[in-house]
Amino acid sequence: MKKYQLGEFEEIVILTIAILNNDAYSVSIKDEIESRLKRTVSMGALHTALKRLEDKGYLKSHSGEATAERAGRPKQYFEITALGKKAMRYAKETRDELWSAIPKTIFQINLAD
Amino acid sequence: MKPKYTPSPPALFLRFFRAYCNPDIQSYIEGDLFEMYERRIKQSGKRKADIRFIIDVLLLFRPGIIRPTRITINVNNYNMLRSYAKIGWRNLARNKAYTTINVAGLALSMTCGILIFTFVKHHLSFDNFHQNSGRIYRIVTELHRDGIAYRSSVPSPLGGAFRNDYTFGEKVARVYTERDALITIKDKNETIKFKEADGLAFTEPEFFDIFNLPLIQGNKKTALTAPNTAVVTEAIAKKYFGSEDPIGQTFWLSNKIAFTITGILKNFPQNTDLRAGIFASYATLISYDRWLAHDTDGWGGIRDGMRCYTLLQPNVSPTEVESVLSAYVKKYRPTSKNVHQYKLQPLADVHFNAHYGGAISKQKLWILAVIGSFLLATACVNFINLATAQALKRSKEVGVRKVLGSVRTQLFWQFIFETAIICAIGIVTAIILAAAIVPYANNLFNTDVSINLFSDRLLIGFILALWIVVTLLAGYYPALVLAKFQPVTALKGKPTQQTLGGFNTRRTLIVSQFAISQVLVIGMIVIINQMQYARESDLGFDKEAIVMIGAGGDGNINGKEALKTEIARIPGVDKVSLCFGAPASDNDWGNSIRFDNSSEEVNFRTSIKSADADYLSTFGLELAAGKNLSPSDSVREMLINEVMVSKLGLKSPEDAIGKYITADGGSMHAPIVGVVKDFHDKSFHEEISPILITTFTEDYIAYAVKINMANATSALPAIEKVWAQQNPDNIFEYTFLDESIAQFYEDEDTMLKLIKTFSFISIFIGCLGLYGLVSFVVNQKTKEIGIRKILGCNIVDILWIFWKEFARLVIIAFIIAAPLGWWLMHTWLQNFKFQIHLSIWFFAIAIGGSLTIALLTVSYQVIKAAVADPVKALRIE
Repeated sequence: MKKYQLGEFEEIVILTIAILNNDAYSVSIKDEIESRLKRTVSMGALHTALKRLEDKGYLKSHSGEATAERAGRPKQYFEITALGKKAMRYAKETRDELWSAIPKTIFQINLAD
Repeated sequence: MKPKYTPSPPALFLRFFRAYCNPDIQSYIEGDLFEMYERRIKQSGKRKADIRFIIDVLLLFRPGIIRPTRITINVNNYNMLRSYAKIGWRNLARNKAYTTINVAGLALSMTCGILIFTFVKHHLSFDNFHQNSGRIYRIVTELHRDGIAYRSSVPSPLGGAFRNDYTFGEKVARVYTERDALITIKDKNETIKFKEADGLAFTEPEFFDIFNLPLIQGNKKTALTAPNTAVVTEAIAKKYFGSEDPIGQTFWLSNKIAFTITGILKNFPQNTDLRAGIFASYATLISYDRWLAHDTDGWGGIRDGMRCYTLLQPNVSPTEVESVLSAYVKKYRPTSKNVHQYKLQPLADVHFNAHYGGAISKQKLWILAVIGSFLLATACVNFINLATAQALKRSKEVGVRKVLGSVRTQLFWQFIFETAIICAIGIVTAIILAAAIVPYANNLFNTDVSINLFSDRLLIGFILALWIVVTLLAGYYPALVLAKFQPVTALKGKPTQQTLGGFNTRRTLIVSQFAISQVLVIGMIVIINQMQYARESDLGFDKEAIVMIGAGGDGNINGKEALKTEIARIPGVDKVSLCFGAPASDNDWGNSIRFDNSSEEVNFRTSIKSADADYLSTFGLELAAGKNLSPSDSVREMLINEVMVSKLGLKSPEDAIGKYITADGGSMHAPIVGVVKDFHDKSFHEEISPILITTFTEDYIAYAVKINMANATSALPAIEKVWAQQNPDNIFEYTFLDESIAQFYEDEDTMLKLIKTFSFISIFIGCLGLYGLVSFVVNQKTKEIGIRKILGCNIVDILWIFWKEFARLVIIAFIIAAPLGWWLMHTWLQNFKFQIHLSIWFFAIAIGGSLTIALLTVSYQVIKAAVADPVKALRIE
């Protein structure tokens, strides 16, 4: 059952939005991911992900102020919807559940190698 | 406050981004892009920022960001197209008059388009089939005296010297073409005679290395090395020997020189200026013309037909070669006042350069192409005019379609589709018409164009392109107008002029159509008048009832004199003169003379006309001073003309009498005994040349026979009889002098025919357009006419209302056309040294004619509306 579908990159994006709280718009999200995870994020990938998340109802957006360095273009701020929060929690819980099911010995054996 | 920031990322990619991006999110992403861009400029400079920007834009090109495709995508076009075709066809069938006018206009102009295209293409393809054609040049001569003259030929030794002295030419070939050659084949006891207008060419073997003219029999290397050998084309071989094997057969040139055929050339394609069909070995030239074949004497002058072609080494520039060629002038012609400059003419220029006898200038081809496009444009304009007028009738259909859910693009394409049907009918008609009239057009305009619809890919491409372009040009505007109708107004009733709009557009179209046709008409009138002037002016000599008969053979002067006496005895012959040519003729022997025992040549060219003592009386030439030549068989006395007198700097003709002239490199030396009044020795394109008439019997190659027209029918056969007895091996040829003078204006004649055709077509198409516009306006004003009639207006008054409107358009068109026509025709007249003045009457006729035609067209429709019962006009609501 695919209740809350959330891809890997989408998860990172939505988590970053949560971190940024009220200051999440595309460039800040990109900067945050790049600085925290040390991976480059292309504008294309990011916007596609944002749009997909919005289409799924996990995010909602509103236009922000237009600034000079954006040549008068508005910022699009994102915030997480209730559904989005549920999806995040669901993702975390499923992971945790899976983690807890892993036998402890696995890591020890690996270490012994 | 910070200055307003305007980022300048690569504009092309920004545009690309804007083109594909979903408009909902475009401004946000654009903002991001700008923000990143500016940050990167600060971090790493503009270049890197630009590159990153481009990468970003390209990476953004992915689903989710690209704008969604429209919903009205047609999954199954076929049914819709079929419906369009059906509806379109029904519409055309219902409005037969409208369809006919449109198809006729389009077909007519497309026919012109197709013919002009084929013609232009044919000429542009001349001699394009030789390998290395970019490196092939013809050496030509500029003659610098008091003016510059141009010759496509060179002194005969030039080619040989160039080949031996320099390594610039990979191949060099001399070709001497003798035009109008008499070829005979001696078959047992019978002699078969042929006159080859394109002539026989004495050719060096390298000619066939330069040009791609393959032999189908014989060896290219050896066929033309030995004297008295020749290669001929398949066509000539068939003509002379039928189905017999031509190799090894013999034919004679001028009954003097025999040639054995050693090879057969594949027939030449149509698109070449190399016209001769018989190529004889150059080694034979010495027995035909000793002077021409001589290694140093030949530098003395230029014989027409002596050509030199060269294939330059790669990397050799023509200017380099031209600069070394000038050394020959210093070496071989150090004292001549006739200064030669040898130039290299690229092969691609040969067909187009009028200086060197090119067949047609590129400018003329351009003019034709422009006229062709004009005609097409007028036809499109017409179509637009008629179709928008017609649009009223379609408004209900558009309304219904819109209500049922058609979107604008669908309607737009529907009407484009209908236009495409009309165009297709037009183009098919045009192809049939073009194919049908091509032989007549070739005949009329002296061309040799052929239409091979199935093998000529370029032509097929052109026709398809024509179809698409005309469809879009003609259909775009009406389709737009129709598709724009508001369904409510369209269904409620007649859309008014306002909703249709563009009445001014249509006026402009009409004005431009009439301007074009008036320019053509002005051109036509001027050409007709100039031609009439050239034909009917007094040329200074008598050209009526004079027959020029070739002297034939190499009979000595006594034989010619005897024949002359015999011809003079024939009843119906008034006078006979033995001469080099008529007073005005293409045949012309130019010479540098010395005057009054001076050791220096004069700096102008003198045309020597050899003729006997009867020349003046036969042609009715008049003397200004002195006396006529006395009969003589050597150069004893000379006559000159008035132009010569003034060029020599003499005050009056009398001053020239008794002075001595030395000509032909010193072999002629005689006193001037008389001065003839000036006569035109060339066409009106050229000034009258200085002329010298003397009894140089070697040059007598024609009899000028003045015939009493009453006995003309019996005289000519009688002359032929005595002539044939004297010259059994030759062909009797004659021309009427007035006809050969008319030939001077062949080009102008062709042009006149063309411009007549085009003005007719353009006026016709213009009238179709006018007719369409008038029917539209009359339709609009039906009620107005009705009310006016009730209030007591008569037909003339109503006509006047419309006449005023359309006369104004024609007059505006004339105001545009008149200066343009004046300028064009003024430029054209500069081709003539003797020209008419551009009279105001030419313009008056043009405007008068157009006004009459335009008003007649208008009247037909208006009268129909004006005589109608006003009750009917007013009842419709």
